[in-house]
Amino acid sequence: MAEKIVVDPIPRIEGHLRIEAKLDENNVIEDAFSSGTMWRGIEIILKGRDPRDAWAFAERICGVCTTVHALASVRCVEDALGIEVPLNARIIRNLMNATQQTQDHLVHFYHLHALDWVDVVSALKADPKEASRIAQSISPWPKSSPGYFKELQQKLVGFVESGQLGIFSNGYWGHSAYKLPPEVNLIAVAHYLEALDFQKEIVKIHTVFGGKNPHPNYLVGGMACAIDPNRNTAINIEVLSMVKKIIDETITFIEQVYIPDLIAIAGFYKGWLYGGGLGNYLCYGDFPENSIDDASSLLWPRGAILNKDLSTIHDVDPLDLNQVTEEVSHSWYTYSNGDDKGLHPWEGETNPKYTGPKPPFEFLDTDKKYSWLKTPRWKNNPMEVGPLARVLLAYAKGDAMIKDTVDMVLGRLNVGADALYSTLGRTAARGIECLQTAGFMKHFYEQLIDNVKAGDYRTANTELWDPSRWPKEAKGFGYTEAPRGALGHWIHIKDGKIEDYQIVVPSTWNASPRDASGAVGAYESALKGTPMADPEKPLEILRTVHSFDPCLACASHVFDMNGNEIIKVTIV
Amino acid sequence: MKKINVIGLGNILFGDEGFGVEAVKRLEKECVGFPDTVQFIDGGTQGIYLLDYIESVDALLIYDAIIPSEFDRQVYIYRNDELPAFIHRKMSSHQMGLSELLSVARLHAKVPDDIVLIGVPPKNLELGSGISPVVEKLLREAVDKGKQILTAFLNG
Repeated sequence: MAEKIVVDPIPRIEGHLRIEAKLDENNVIEDAFSSGTMWRGIEIILKGRDPRDAWAFAERICGVCTTVHALASVRCVEDALGIEVPLNARIIRNLMNATQQTQDHLVHFYHLHALDWVDVVSALKADPKEASRIAQSISPWPKSSPGYFKELQQKLVGFVESGQLGIFSNGYWGHSAYKLPPEVNLIAVAHYLEALDFQKEIVKIHTVFGGKNPHPNYLVGGMACAIDPNRNTAINIEVLSMVKKIIDETITFIEQVYIPDLIAIAGFYKGWLYGGGLGNYLCYGDFPENSIDDASSLLWPRGAILNKDLSTIHDVDPLDLNQVTEEVSHSWYTYSNGDDKGLHPWEGETNPKYTGPKPPFEFLDTDKKYSWLKTPRWKNNPMEVGPLARVLLAYAKGDAMIKDTVDMVLGRLNVGADALYSTLGRTAARGIECLQTAGFMKHFYEQLIDNVKAGDYRTANTELWDPSRWPKEAKGFGYTEAPRGALGHWIHIKDGKIEDYQIVVPSTWNASPRDASGAVGAYESALKGTPMADPEKPLEILRTVHSFDPCLACASHVFDMNGNEIIKVTIV
Repeated sequence: MKKINVIGLGNILFGDEGFGVEAVKRLEKECVGFPDTVQFIDGGTQGIYLLDYIESVDALLIYDAIIPSEFDRQVYIYRNDELPAFIHRKMSSHQMGLSELLSVARLHAKVPDDIVLIGVPPKNLELGSGISPVVEKLLREAVDKGKQILTAFLNG
């Protein structure tokens, strides 16, 4: 009988995460510990640099969310210096952000998370005709003929027989926790490959407005792109109609592929409603329709929910020194005035000090410090951030689109609203949100066209570009809702240079270790109570952790020369 | 005209991890006058998001400080079938390495006809340290070799 298991590293995530779990005599997770195992030091790298360059460094800390860190960074510098960006810049940033959200959610669902629910090897046994019948019964998506599924299945067989599973290696194929019939597995694998092909199109929008991809250009004061409907060298009518085409295709893909797949897959797992977790949710909000300072204009609202109580929405003020804080009682850092006292990011310190066991080791000493992630808290509460937090907040606020879509999905699955507080609920929230952000893409595109038609081509405000016009000292806060949740950058500028820079990323909230009071973080909470079919193949742990879309690279950095392809599962 | 992408991989924040991106930046400067069908891409650690840059061309030249650090300090060049097992190293987005990208390209039947990897073993991977003097010395040769390979691609 297993008592304690270690999964290290968690595969198919960004960065390096280790989970230690204690099981009871029935192999139900009794307690869990989440540890980010690599150190990050972006704050130290930014010190002393030109604040106008910070975004270009910040966007390199992550291999996924380059654009969200760039956005949060330019916003915090603009906040510090009191720069208002032109209307076109605000719209373009919103459009690029909606593009990022949509693409990221799509990639997450199919390429990082689906294989926790979909058994690729089972798809080889599917009847292509039956797969076609099911596919046509759930969606008008045209690629659904028996011939299409047959051809795909043959390709897959060849791939598996070649022995080079590549992207499909390391799956727990045949695990008893997989519940889909072979035909639904085949549909999902087909769409895995379709999505891989399609996601390449979506980001072309970043190339248009960011000048290049994968590292689009941002600019303190606006955007670096030139708009002129009549000039060949600027963003013109031709380019804009290509953007329109991509947006229309994206909406179709989400409506006809992602959402029907989500509902079809979830239908087979609605008895598996584990992984709810904290019940506390935090959002900074995003997609401003007015000045970024006007939180009431955010299409994604700001606020907090505690203990699943949707009737009370708490106001959130990220500038209040007593609200968002980070402590290091269980993290490998020291604070000059005590590790247990939370510090607001403007007062934040980054003094790494590893006190864990010397590798190689079997277990972390989880009574003491056990993670490279700090412990962020909101008014001393551990919080979950991300799509579920945002969808619940929008639902609680009565957002019509979210309410209709959530009710439609719950209705189709024939489950109550309580089902949202689960791993599957988190996964469904991401899909619902993806449908919404694809709609945002269209909305912001139309706004841009209207504004350009009205003769406004201005994309940057350069009045305060020159540091000689800056105050001697200034502090700023820049926020965005990254695909994974609330992201904040806090800056302190002195004599034209960065005096201090602190970033609190979404995965630090979700993957946080315990705090000084012993309260657990979001992953740790969500894993408790989950029964494991086979502790040697911890599929259930991957399912719940992946549902948060962990991105530990900016929470910490990984460089593994030997490519840790094999996940180590230690059982004692 | 052959479509060719030159992609530099790695994270510029971590010393010699930035070799690939730096090499491509320098090579681009020396290839003024090359046709538009040759594109130079700062790929960073973008994994899956680089798929289009791999699948859309006839030939691919990749720079990365991927060589195991205990190897001799020299420039290594690998072609097509010689691509070594250590390209299994994961980059990012989302922990997808070059080998996974190529396996997806195979599944899509969109593998470039020619793939060349130029790499050096990294000396220093410290945060914020820039390219080390040892790797800096190898950069010159890596860029020259890349230019020869590009020219051969174009004439081939």
